[in-house]
Amino acid sequence: MLAMVDNEPTRERCRTGIDALDNILYGGIPLSNTILLTGSCGTGKTSLALEFLIHGALNGERSMFLSVTESSVKLLENVIPYDFFDRDLIDCKNLILVDLPVIYERLGLIKAELTMEEVGLLVHSIIDLVKELGVRRLVIDSITSVGYKLKTQEKIRSFILKISKGLSAVDCTSMLVSEVPPGTQAYSMFMVEEALSDGIILMGNMERRGDLLRTLQVIKMRGTMHSRAKYVLDLTPAGVLLVPLLKGGGGGTK
Amino acid sequence: MTLASKVAGELEELPPSAAVSLQVGVDYYLDAIRAIVDIYASKRDVDIIYVTSTISSQAILDILKALEIDSSKIFFVDCISHTMMGTAVQDSPALFVESPTMLENIMLKTEYLLRKKKSSEKLVLLDSVNSLAIHNTNYVLSEFMHIFVSSLRSKDVNTLILSVIEHTTPELNNIVNLVCDSIIRVVEEGTQ
Repeated sequence: MLAMVDNEPTRERCRTGIDALDNILYGGIPLSNTILLTGSCGTGKTSLALEFLIHGALNGERSMFLSVTESSVKLLENVIPYDFFDRDLIDCKNLILVDLPVIYERLGLIKAELTMEEVGLLVHSIIDLVKELGVRRLVIDSITSVGYKLKTQEKIRSFILKISKGLSAVDCTSMLVSEVPPGTQAYSMFMVEEALSDGIILMGNMERRGDLLRTLQVIKMRGTMHSRAKYVLDLTPAGVLLVPLLKGGGGGTK
Repeated sequence: MTLASKVAGELEELPPSAAVSLQVGVDYYLDAIRAIVDIYASKRDVDIIYVTSTISSQAILDILKALEIDSSKIFFVDCISHTMMGTAVQDSPALFVESPTMLENIMLKTEYLLRKKKSSEKLVLLDSVNSLAIHNTNYVLSEFMHIFVSSLRSKDVNTLILSVIEHTTPELNNIVNLVCDSIIRVVEEGTQ
């Protein structure tokens, strides 16, 4: 691991368990940060987020995946067969998978667009769940899908601000998965998510001379030094692996 | 003493985490492969991660089988079968990289195999720098070699970089020599 400068005060870390990412972040995500994990489809966002949770659960930190679009059953069927994944993690509730539409339904949030009051209600119920279960790692996949129900930038801003504040208060480190169209320069669909997050991890597909590479780059991370270089990643049963992008290989296109 | 046993003798002296340039005459290519596999996989209980961009992993396995050499400790990163279309086999002990131009993926697949294989000693054989040079510029190849070999060194893994003397330019030799601790030349009279 890269060493921090001696005597520099450091924030407590939430080690993702993905060795290379922890090295890029000089030890891990600063504890209780809310990170935007963003990229276009097929870049490995869900796999990385799930691995983050599994490592947490294996480490005894209760971890929760809030699935917005895909049912948790389908998610588990399609997940990479990680060598380190143990189904007992789910049985003993160290890894909790929750379908957000079920929460919508229980709260009576069935309209196509939520009011500001309903946004508050949704945030409260998620934070209550995190508190009640003692969740230390949370993933919302995806914040973009939640955004479609909130519609306006004002309500999305309110949702992210409230949820990151609430999670931070209970020392829960979180990842908000964000989907962006391929080739876009933006980090999010609604253009407010990135400004409100403590960190941005950008995942991409890079085409280079006909080869398609998955890439990862940490754009910002409050509370720690970090590499801003672009890395090439592979999704394997041993987890996410990263190596530096070779500069002489050419930039390619997204 | 056969050529293979001479090469094997040279290789046996390697210190841990060494990177060696193995330069072979075109007629001794198979002898060199045989020596490496024989000394490492068969006799020393070392996992060999064989990165091939020259001939397919299946062809190498067939050769080893014909020579009656145990290949159970050899695991392939095959960068050529996909390019040849259709030779990738699902049950193969190989991990496939779509093209020899995907140098980062060669590093990633090698890293994956290093994590999976539990032998205390591991060797990465890169076969060959000449075939990688067909598909990549010297600049990116040099960058790849530096990162790849340094990374293996930091994990205490030995690296053997194979090159065929007749097909090697001085520039390519420089790229390899820059990252290697020693050079073994296999020519008509034996090793040098």
